[in-house]
Amino acid sequence: MSGYVASLLSVIGINMILALSLNIITGFCGQVSLGHAAFYGIGAYTAAYLSKLGVPLLLTLSAGTAMAGLIGVAVGLTSLRVRHDFLAVTTMGIGFVFLGFVRKQKWLGAELGISGIPAPGLDPLAYALLIAVAAASVIAFSLWIKRSWMGFTFDAVADDEDAARTVGVNVPAYKLTAFGIGTALAGLAGGLYVYFARIILPDTFDFVQSIAILTMVVIGGTGSVWGVVASTVALTLLPEVSRAASDYRLLIFGGMLILVMRFSPGGLAGMARSFLGSKRARRRAVP
Amino acid sequence: MYFVELGVKGLVYGCMYAMMAVGLTLVYGLLRILHIAHAGVFALGAFIAVVVANETGSLALGFALAIVVSAVAGVAIYRFAYQPLLGHAAFVPMIVSIGIFIVMQEAFRMVFGAYGIAFDYNPYYTATVDLAGIRLNYVEIAMVVAATVLLVGFGLFASLTRAGVGWRATVSDPQMATSFGVDPVRVRYLNFIFGSGLAGIAGALVGLLNNYVEPTMGALVSYKALAIIVLGGLGSVRGTLIASLILGVVESYGTIYLADIFDRDAIGFLFLIVVLMVRPQGLLGRG
Amino acid sequence: MTALARIDDLHKSFGGVAAASGVSFAVNAGEFLAVIGPNGAGKTTALRLMAGLLQPDSGRIFFDDRDVTSLPAHARVRLGLGFTHQIVRPFYSFSTIENVMIAAGHRHTTSPWRALTLRSRQAARDKAATILERIGLTAQTDQSPRALPLGQRKRLEVARAIALDPRLLLLDEPLAGLSSAEAATMADLIRTLPQAGITVVLVEHNLGEVLRVADRIVVLDAGKVLAEGAPAEVMARADVRQAYTGTS
Repeated sequence: MSGYVASLLSVIGINMILALSLNIITGFCGQVSLGHAAFYGIGAYTAAYLSKLGVPLLLTLSAGTAMAGLIGVAVGLTSLRVRHDFLAVTTMGIGFVFLGFVRKQKWLGAELGISGIPAPGLDPLAYALLIAVAAASVIAFSLWIKRSWMGFTFDAVADDEDAARTVGVNVPAYKLTAFGIGTALAGLAGGLYVYFARIILPDTFDFVQSIAILTMVVIGGTGSVWGVVASTVALTLLPEVSRAASDYRLLIFGGMLILVMRFSPGGLAGMARSFLGSKRARRRAVP
Repeated sequence: MYFVELGVKGLVYGCMYAMMAVGLTLVYGLLRILHIAHAGVFALGAFIAVVVANETGSLALGFALAIVVSAVAGVAIYRFAYQPLLGHAAFVPMIVSIGIFIVMQEAFRMVFGAYGIAFDYNPYYTATVDLAGIRLNYVEIAMVVAATVLLVGFGLFASLTRAGVGWRATVSDPQMATSFGVDPVRVRYLNFIFGSGLAGIAGALVGLLNNYVEPTMGALVSYKALAIIVLGGLGSVRGTLIASLILGVVESYGTIYLADIFDRDAIGFLFLIVVLMVRPQGLLGRG
Repeated sequence: MTALARIDDLHKSFGGVAAASGVSFAVNAGEFLAVIGPNGAGKTTALRLMAGLLQPDSGRIFFDDRDVTSLPAHARVRLGLGFTHQIVRPFYSFSTIENVMIAAGHRHTTSPWRALTLRSRQAARDKAATILERIGLTAQTDQSPRALPLGQRKRLEVARAIALDPRLLLLDEPLAGLSSAEAATMADLIRTLPQAGITVVLVEHNLGEVLRVADRIVVLDAGKVLAEGAPAEVMARADVRQAYTGTS
């Protein structure tokens, strides 16, 4: 029983870090990214590869985080060059390029991925708690960003980039920062996943996964930290609670994307705000 | 000879991509929305063609209904998902589009099974023709012919008929066009009917070519079509056509020469990213 | 008077159409300079080039004798340049005061990592409140810009630019779309800026108000400077009147 609980906590924790990390890029800074799973994958592959060489846990996690963040900044540089509309397709492309690359690289296990990853050195429940602590830290960090001047500036960039320039905001620097932080955290999630699953396959980091992460952000309410936390918990638990939900997982995701965006684009957070009245109706009022 | 054959095959694929991509660029040009659900329309056309052909024994009827149903589906998507959301940021209808695609794909999976269905009677599957030393399937030729006829036809329509000119006016300046009495809603319907019908034919032809139609067949083609419309300069039909052919050829050669590094699907996106870094407005887009 | 800013032989074309064909003029510290001219003369282009929102095809821009031609817009803001858009662009997801706050706190936003360490918005809020009072928008403090009529949105645009503590303020048609009463009020407001240490360069169509408040006028026509000098003498010139009436 405790094994099941540990497993569930771990998955929720990893998903939460993933969703919150995308929330920083897309929700806080307004940069749409349809390839976020690639950074999850970069962190995972880095950590997995190093772990098999005997590198200890904390180092592999750090390496995964750093690698994902570095490549994320490089990808962020592409976002500076292309028009807003192009960004969705470009980030989608990054995802396919990553996948296409690892599927072919023998030293990364090609189609079979990397297996036989060593145990984390903690029992499952303790490891789940480690993940929980990491997730809680990411929540705290997100809230901190939101309330700081970085968050205020992200809001301006997300609202109107050109107007932000005229109030002295170095828009490229902020976009790169958002990408760097968001992708690094996705890399952290990847590293944590490695020791949880003990085997990684390329398909875990495909476009469907990118969409799944985006779904958690969108349904929670893009930009809202607590909204994303709530939607991640709900969407992760749903297949567990309902066997039917599990079989039709993708269908439900798709359906929710349609219904939420069509009728309440602000997601759960938006619905909560309307419910609580108009005084707190602006995005920044609710953290 | 092999080299030339690769090129020709690439052009054939390019024609198929063009039929998909034109629908996408038409929607983008008019509404600034990335119509990802287009992939679902493509697959829908394929499934309808197979089902009808198998039920009635007539391939022609199958194709005819594929066109009709796809066109209707496209318009329905516009009415339900895009028209009500035109006031929102482009992000919102795009997400709904993703949701619709996922739901359609899952619906196909539930109805037809994950392994898809095939034509009962497909005489074209193995029929090939030898053109100057290059072996081409009848269906491949049909694809090139269909693409050429339809797109040239559309080009003539756009320049010579009143409705066509009205459409072009609406794309370049909606307000001006309205003041000249062009009905924007009718133009949009026309857009979706033509673009979706094209996708339906493309789907049916691909089903015929592979003798096999499965739920996820729309996905990869659609993602590449997205890359194509960005490459061609979003909204430009001519650019899209050229980019489609170029992508088909690049993929064809790339798959062989980069076989050890990237898989086929990544090649197209890699090309896109490289081009965008050099020319952020796309191959043929205006800055 | 020393030249606070100077543009030198600026050229800029858009798809074959030359918007600026060798524009040169200087702005002196403490003055109120108006740039006028018929439609399509290149006034807005010149201003946007100065602000850094456009890059010239050739020519140079100087601020404080420093060549800023290759500096991006935000860097010019840091040097003391402010800009308001012709079609106002407030941050619609911010309240009125928040719009001014983000500008008031512009020193906090220079470096993203430093911005991460700063949390308090109180100082910026106080400064923004003072500016809103000066501009007459205190009643609209917590309202969304969407709820404001054009006249107030234009004042918000100016308030936000002032909050940057600029030494040079570039205003792109601040009177456009305003009623004559609103335009007069806005002109009077802008006219007080040089006394507060803000040099003003204004692009405007509304000649009546402009001639009333400007110290010096530059007339542009077809992307080039046609005339410059004191309002009365410039407007008395036949070629200037030609430029206005000759073009439809």
